[in-house]
Amino acid sequence: MEHALTLHGVTKRFGSFTAVSDLTLEVPTGCIYGFLGQNGAGKTTTIRMVMSIFRPDTGRISVLGHPDAEAVKDRLGYLPEEKGLYKKMRTAEIVAYFGKLKGMDRSTADLRARELLTRYGLGDWLDKRCEAMSKGMGQKVQVLGTIIHEPDLVILDEPFSGLDPVNRDVMRDLILDMKRMGRTVIFSTHGMEHAEQICDYVMMIHKSRLQFAGTLAEVKRGRDRGIQLDYDGDGAALTGLPGLSRLNDHGKSAEIFLRPDADPQQALRWLLDKVAVRRFDVREASLHEIFVRTVDEAERRLATTGKER
Amino acid sequence: MANKTLLVAQREYLENVRTKTFWIGIFIVPVLLAGLVGVSVLLQKLREVQRYSVVDLGGGELMARAEREFRAGDARAMWRIAQQMKDDPALAGMRQGGGADGEPTGEQMTAVLDWAARQDPTELAKLGDLGASKRFTLVSPQELGVIATAPEEVQRELSQRVHKGELFAYFVLGADPDTTVDDFRYVSNNFTDDALRRGYEAALTRIVQRDRITAAGIAPKVAAHIQQQVACKQLQADSAGGTTVVKKENVVDQWAPVGFVYFLWMAILGVASMLLTNTVEEKSNRIIEVLLSSVSPGQLMQGKIWGIAATGMTMVFVWILFALAAAWTVPQLLGMSGGGVIVGVFKALQNGGYLLSFAFYFLAGYLLYAAILVAIGAACNTLKEAQNLTQPVMMTLMIPMLSMVFIGQEPNGTVAKVLSWIPFFTPFTMMNRAGGPPATWEYVGTSVLLLVTIWLTMRAAGKIFRVGVLMTGNPPKLKEILGWLRQS
Repeated sequence: MEHALTLHGVTKRFGSFTAVSDLTLEVPTGCIYGFLGQNGAGKTTTIRMVMSIFRPDTGRISVLGHPDAEAVKDRLGYLPEEKGLYKKMRTAEIVAYFGKLKGMDRSTADLRARELLTRYGLGDWLDKRCEAMSKGMGQKVQVLGTIIHEPDLVILDEPFSGLDPVNRDVMRDLILDMKRMGRTVIFSTHGMEHAEQICDYVMMIHKSRLQFAGTLAEVKRGRDRGIQLDYDGDGAALTGLPGLSRLNDHGKSAEIFLRPDADPQQALRWLLDKVAVRRFDVREASLHEIFVRTVDEAERRLATTGKER
Repeated sequence: MANKTLLVAQREYLENVRTKTFWIGIFIVPVLLAGLVGVSVLLQKLREVQRYSVVDLGGGELMARAEREFRAGDARAMWRIAQQMKDDPALAGMRQGGGADGEPTGEQMTAVLDWAARQDPTELAKLGDLGASKRFTLVSPQELGVIATAPEEVQRELSQRVHKGELFAYFVLGADPDTTVDDFRYVSNNFTDDALRRGYEAALTRIVQRDRITAAGIAPKVAAHIQQQVACKQLQADSAGGTTVVKKENVVDQWAPVGFVYFLWMAILGVASMLLTNTVEEKSNRIIEVLLSSVSPGQLMQGKIWGIAATGMTMVFVWILFALAAAWTVPQLLGMSGGGVIVGVFKALQNGGYLLSFAFYFLAGYLLYAAILVAIGAACNTLKEAQNLTQPVMMTLMIPMLSMVFIGQEPNGTVAKVLSWIPFFTPFTMMNRAGGPPATWEYVGTSVLLLVTIWLTMRAAGKIFRVGVLMTGNPPKLKEILGWLRQS
């Protein structure tokens, strides 16, 4: 089986609103695949269709080689964007419950729940109620509930949101661990740095339509190179840079794109006069830049064709 | 697949049953009920003994006799006491015989009252409840500090005491009751409690009647013959055109079904609302979507419905245990002959058929209303939103409540028959008509219709649940919800 997931011409409408429009996508087995897009772009609807919570209006979805996702439900793991736990249940109990719902037998599920929680640093919480946990811990418990049955395909909707840096690292390691075990991981995120760090493939949806999809290298190929700048001083001055085409100013660092005719060396010289440069690096565009630019381009296209979605 | 439904139901059940609140809730109801009964009994006991006085214009003989007759209480209370007085030879012949149902005949009643009037009132009072008379005690004008002896003076002074609240009431007995009773008076400023007046009047009437019979020279036997009360022997008809004596255990008090319906109503509404709350909470908990990645919406809904059903059944079962325990103790405590809903229900509880039909109608009624409420719960995000949508359901549920007493009295009337065939009312109405009882074909027909409706409602609820459970934002309008029914 080559692809863990394929979508072909998938469309989903809610009344007059089109959430996903003619989406075609292939997710190779054993990769980490990032789903990018603004809020309301159609990521969650896509994921829900993959999980057979929604049925597509048109198009075909094949999950783990099955045309009917319902049939392989027990081999999938899903962490939704809206994360909740039964507050009154104990940690080990709820993780085991998720396992049992996926068809694990009682004793195996109980045993594995305790083992997983202990391995990911929640050993002291096994018999505590979920309501006593912090948000980050709760999220960890949920992810463990998602993977307890060792699913072949794991889909995580916004797994990093609301986590502190330490727990983000734990989450990242967990995703990498799963890849190492040969599983396929799909996750959606707004954090471009996460996508850039760990994804083999990324795709982006904007207003229900697929904008791009492929490996990170493929996505970045053919785009203009940008200047990565770390600086101290007044960032407002940067807007005056001769030959500037686009600027992503973060306050202490910035990503600068020049018009094709402008020379980066000239720009460096100009910058040295205006701010204290700590790093100057000419390289391919960041995913962040690609994201923002894609949104811009898509909006412009929509405006010129004058048609809404 | 069914296994997952079971897992959901089991979790739902355990979560509820493991909480302390659940058990406190279960035990608090019987405790509260017992407390209520206890308090009302206590209040009865704590009622103050009221003082009354008598001015006998005829010299005092009538006063003494009236006091005795009044103390003898009402005939039924006396009859019960006579049943216990096995050794008194004067009562021989009054115990056996009697009416078909063990009630006294008119003749026996008169004899018992005659006997009771000859007894010492305080001794009689020890034997049992004599009715209203024990709440009142006679005090003479002298004991009240009235010095005057002229009747007009005495009356004036007594009136002052009544006005001041020192005295509850006083009677003025006429001088010549054989001729006229027009000068009899009852003076009191309390207009609500007329037990004293009525009891005393009844006692006086009996005395005056006896005296007039004697005065007219009518033999006591003839008098008794004339005064005999008619008691119809109670029979029931059978298919062969014959009749048999109605056995006491076959007589279901009209209040018993009413009590059952009330209990059924409370149980169905209570448990189904639990489901509604639970669904809305779970939706706002955001846990639904995780569950939906493992189970289908249909399985989740069924699991919830059955899990909560098991919870509710546990609650009802414990209450039934309490009720059964009470069924054997309370009637003795209250006296079986006493009326009222509670005694009626307890009597009927000793008849197993009631429990079975209660269990069936509880389950069926619950499933029907659960399907509706779970769909509403799935469509709403907060309980407040849900309240708007549940309003029509609650209005519908008011109908069996309002018709409860009426149907109890007319179990085979047109209204009862029509309501039986409307599935939303079937459980309540059929339970309500148990005293009738309805024909077998009615039981079968309405049950089939009810079960079909449950099945259809469940299917519709499943569709609403599937769409609604992941909806957030504004609550959907009724029109939209109906639109979901046409989808998929």
